[in-house]
Amino acid sequence: MTEIRQAVNQLIIDVIEDKTIQVNDNTPLIGDGSVLDSMKLVELCLSLEDFAEEKGFEFDWTSGQAMSRSRSMFRTVDSLLTEFLSQMEVKK
Amino acid sequence: MIIVTGSSKGLGLAICERLCSLGVDVFGLSRDISNSPFPSMSCDISSYNEVKKVVSTLKKENKEVSGLINAAGIASMNLAVTTPPNISQKIIETNLLGTIYCCQLIAPLMMRKKHGSIINFSTIATSLGLKGESVYIASKAGVEGFTRSFAREMADFNINVNCLAPGPIDTNLLKGITAKQINKIVSQQIIPKQFSPEAICDLVELLLDSKSSSISGQVLNVGGV
Repeated sequence: MTEIRQAVNQLIIDVIEDKTIQVNDNTPLIGDGSVLDSMKLVELCLSLEDFAEEKGFEFDWTSGQAMSRSRSMFRTVDSLLTEFLSQMEVKK
Repeated sequence: MIIVTGSSKGLGLAICERLCSLGVDVFGLSRDISNSPFPSMSCDISSYNEVKKVVSTLKKENKEVSGLINAAGIASMNLAVTTPPNISQKIIETNLLGTIYCCQLIAPLMMRKKHGSIINFSTIATSLGLKGESVYIASKAGVEGFTRSFAREMADFNINVNCLAPGPIDTNLLKGITAKQINKIVSQQIIPKQFSPEAICDLVELLLDSKSSSISGQVLNVGGV
């Protein structure tokens, strides 16, 4: 799990253009203070899809819940990691 | 591979046949795929989950998608005040939401490759504001607006999004419309003639071709207004 968390974390860092930004579990990915614009968020989703495929499951980022601002998996780095791992557990 | 919705009849079928004749790998989506001469999958595009299932299947089969043609559509010629709510809902769900669902779910297959072309379908009636087609026109005006905005969203991914807006083309969508009514619409076009499905296929070919890579976010009124 730690390995997966690190890999997903790295994917997030890779799409952030400003390399001086320090990313931690509470870094928001959408809304106020977000480190990604909408296009970068989509790029991240595509990278996560590819990574999930490597790990043998389909990562779904298009559900209503994924896109809900209040419950979104993109609220923070930690919520995205949690959702990714949860989908991996359920679908594998 | 080019995905074509509404592939079992009308313009969608004509487009599939044209692309197949050019050796293009076509994948049709339609509610009825019996007797389809090309690879197809049954799908009601007004259902988000059904479109999602299609995308999931294509991903599993590692299909590389380079184009999407949203030709599926329904029409109902009625005055707004005599259009039953279930018909209005069906028109909006199929023409507008169906186009949106296909775009938002299928576009990511092209975004990964940073290459693609999406062609949506409106109608010249939208620009002309024809009487007796208000709900249908409302759905297509939505498609035009969506096309313009979605084209900007897709530009970073090198995906062009355009909309074709034909006049009355000779397909089953025109059943119930008299020759007099057709002539009245055609006479309002800059080029006052009824175009064939082949003319629309020519435009589809053009918009799929790299020669039209500078065109995006445009609504092309066939025949001109």
